Amino acid sequence: MTPAPSKMTRTSYAVILRFTGESAEAEEVVQEAFLRAWRGIDRFERRSQFFTWLYRIGLNEAKRRAGRRPPAEPLSVEEGALEQTADFTHAPEPRAEQHDLREVLERAVRALPEGYRAPLILRDVEGLSTDHAAEIMGLKQAAFKSRLHRARLAVRDAVDAYLTGEDA
Amino acid sequence: MRRLRDMRPGFMLDHMFTRRHLAEYLDGELDARGRDRLRDHAHRCPSCHRLVATLVQMLDGLRGLGQAAADGVADLGLRHRASA
Repeated sequence: MTPAPSKMTRTSYAVILRFTGESAEAEEVVQEAFLRAWRGIDRFERRSQFFTWLYRIGLNEAKRRAGRRPPAEPLSVEEGALEQTADFTHAPEPRAEQHDLREVLERAVRALPEGYRAPLILRDVEGLSTDHAAEIMGLKQAAFKSRLHRARLAVRDAVDAYLTGEDA
Repeated sequence: MRRLRDMRPGFMLDHMFTRRHLAEYLDGELDARGRDRLRDHAHRCPSCHRLVATLVQMLDGLRGLGQAAADGVADLGLRHRASA
């Protein structure tokens, strides 16, 4: 009998799947991450939780694989993106069904540049604390928050364009 | 577009405050006074109202993605157990 996936496996898989966008690849990445963690357990220095360490290995593996693929058209996370959104004069008319909004969000998250996608996935999709998510990414809190904010604004622009029908 | 003469005193200061502290607001890290100031401004400023409203809607949606994925993966686990 094959053992059922543990909570740790399920959570890792959910995060990596969001990152890769393909279930088969996400399974491979999680397996690879567990294998690397097992092989490198002697190098685990207990400065972080085991789960944090495992997440980091998984994300690095996902990024390594993503680097092999041709880049998709990325969302802009340039500084000043916030100012570009400042001229609207009406609140958006919600035209999105929940399902449609979900698809828009999925697409927008996948289109984020890699260094911005992970903070958003860890913090806003998976609901990890800022401390924990920053630790996984090996970033200081301020740097993590800055990336997260830019990622949120970029995804927000995509949602806004959808809500107003500008992406049609 | 709102004209300068229509703006209440402090409008632009509140506007800049809102933009500067938006991330803290979204993460619940702004103190009560700051929250009130930001919300009050967002009620009077259409662009900030829209920005805050869509960000809050987006964050709700992102949390929903995480929950849906967790449910889906949990289902996989159940199916896995059932088929074992």
